[in-house]
Amino acid sequence: MDLSSFLQNVLNGLAIGSVYALFALGYTLIFSILGIINFAHGAVFTLGAYFTYTLISGQFENNGLLKGVNLFPNGSPLAGSAWGFALSALVGSVLAGLVAVVIERLAFRPMRSRGADPLLALVSSLGVALVIVNLIQILVGAESYSFPDGIYGDLPGALLFKLGKKTIIIRTVQVIIFGVSMVLLLILGLVIGRTRTGKALRAVAENPGTASLLGISVDRFIVITFFLAGLLGGLAGTLVGSSFGIAGPYFGVTYGLKGLAVIVLGGLGSIPGAVLGGLVIGLAEAFVPADYSAYNQAVAFALLFVILLVRPQGLLGKLQIQKV
Amino acid sequence: MEFLQQYGFLMATMLQQGLLGLSLYAPLMAGQLSLASPGFYALGGYIAAVILTNPAFAGWRDALGYGIYPLTWLLGAVVCGLLGVVVGVPALRLRGIYLALATIAFVEILRVLALNLSITGGAVGLFGIPQAFGFVDRWQYLWQFLPLLILTLLFFHQLSRSRTGRAFRAIREDELAADAMGVPPTRYKVLAFVIGAVLAGIVGSMSAPFLNTWNAKQGTFDASIAYLAFVLIGGSRSMWGPLLGGALLTALPEVLRGLADWRLVINGLVLVVASLYLPQGIVGSLGRKPKPPIRPSAPPRDEGPVGPPYTPETL
Repeated sequence: MDLSSFLQNVLNGLAIGSVYALFALGYTLIFSILGIINFAHGAVFTLGAYFTYTLISGQFENNGLLKGVNLFPNGSPLAGSAWGFALSALVGSVLAGLVAVVIERLAFRPMRSRGADPLLALVSSLGVALVIVNLIQILVGAESYSFPDGIYGDLPGALLFKLGKKTIIIRTVQVIIFGVSMVLLLILGLVIGRTRTGKALRAVAENPGTASLLGISVDRFIVITFFLAGLLGGLAGTLVGSSFGIAGPYFGVTYGLKGLAVIVLGGLGSIPGAVLGGLVIGLAEAFVPADYSAYNQAVAFALLFVILLVRPQGLLGKLQIQKV
Repeated sequence: MEFLQQYGFLMATMLQQGLLGLSLYAPLMAGQLSLASPGFYALGGYIAAVILTNPAFAGWRDALGYGIYPLTWLLGAVVCGLLGVVVGVPALRLRGIYLALATIAFVEILRVLALNLSITGGAVGLFGIPQAFGFVDRWQYLWQFLPLLILTLLFFHQLSRSRTGRAFRAIREDELAADAMGVPPTRYKVLAFVIGAVLAGIVGSMSAPFLNTWNAKQGTFDASIAYLAFVLIGGSRSMWGPLLGGALLTALPEVLRGLADWRLVINGLVLVVASLYLPQGIVGSLGRKPKPPIRPSAPPRDEGPVGPPYTPETL
């Protein structure tokens, strides 16, 4: 492999890896607070992409109950400019965050208050995912939708660099995905590490009982966590959707599964771990030789399996010793 | 007869899914949450499908006649059992959610392999699998699944009364205590895992002729969760739970057929509502109250508004 294809692979890997990180952070935030995996997260990712798409295009022309409905008869005011896309992405992600809060209210809180088996939360969150995915299908059909051209306004589609005889292509989407993801991860790290809210979140994650004794409203912080998780998941969905198109209501499922590999690789419940895990898996996939690209989908799970056997606590996780 | 014509396929499917629920229940008897069943089910099915369709095995098929079908079951059981040992020995060092995630990875890896190998027919899969024993109607597969189910239930019943069954329960209740009492946890955990793998493998090899075609969609993450839902919604403390859960949840979409597109939405709602209101599962809610433990457990601690601590170990 020469230098230019090496660099190209690194760039591709970092772009997709940062989306994995953004998405997996939602899993990790909820896991660190509740110790459960929210399997509806993949559906929230999908919803985020659909919400943003709705704001940009205003209609779903292919199929479903909403066929023929047009939100913006005179064309969406948000289409055709980079700021319009940024605003739609923001609103779409916030809506996804609100859906995540509703999911918490309907599927997780009642279980928590009953002290139910945490395994049941797996099943109920999957039930929620099933409902969301099929509602999307009923409303807008199973067809794929791609974002219209020009969502990035006047920005060029790709930057080309000459390196010797080869050319390295950097798609604008990739730069945006990587930049947005890294800025958000940085902000999230600062919020959790440096602010009062973050301190309270960490306290709830450490020990909810003690946190509530200290006057922290545990339920409120759980709601905040779900909102943040949904926001990040929805934004990841939007970014992936704007880059590769929305491949139908089920397009979050693959990311949902890969997200699991990401958080385990990095260490369950570890925020820097989720970022590292996402980047490692993104890079590993980018370096799969073209001849074996069909096996690309197995890379994340092979890594997951190996890390569980070699270092179950993940790259950055803490080892938990089982006590009597 | 007309009843069988109309509902026989559904009934056979209900039994088949109930058996798969039981294959996930087997490791759970020893307290291990494994979601590997769809992987073994798919593998068992591929073994049967390859033997029954691949020209390389034409000689076997001619020589054995109908005897080829029991042979595929045997091979499915043996291969899945061996793979169960190979995967189980390292994987069962993991606990709770970690084991569940490792087995999800196992299922996904097998699925990607099945999608890309040529012997499994790639993305198209294998089709034209001959009907077992020259069956002409789908309901006749009840002759396959019903005896297997009865044997499985008898086996689980005997198992639960044996020394092994008691060891499983001891590990399920408290692995460290069981270890301290001289019950080797790893050996029994691997055994429980392998029992599930063998059962899923046999069901798979019986299902390839039943479904006529076999492809990578047979062993997916969705199936893992479906079987988990069978067990949890049916009841995870008795072998009747997974069976009932599997049968009911398989019949549900058929019952809701009139609702067309909405049936999967309703199916999802049922999962949510059942996990909220039937935390012990259907069988657990119907059955007698569990016998009080000999050592009274500690009174429920008030952990604040969040309920019990959700550490990975409690999973």
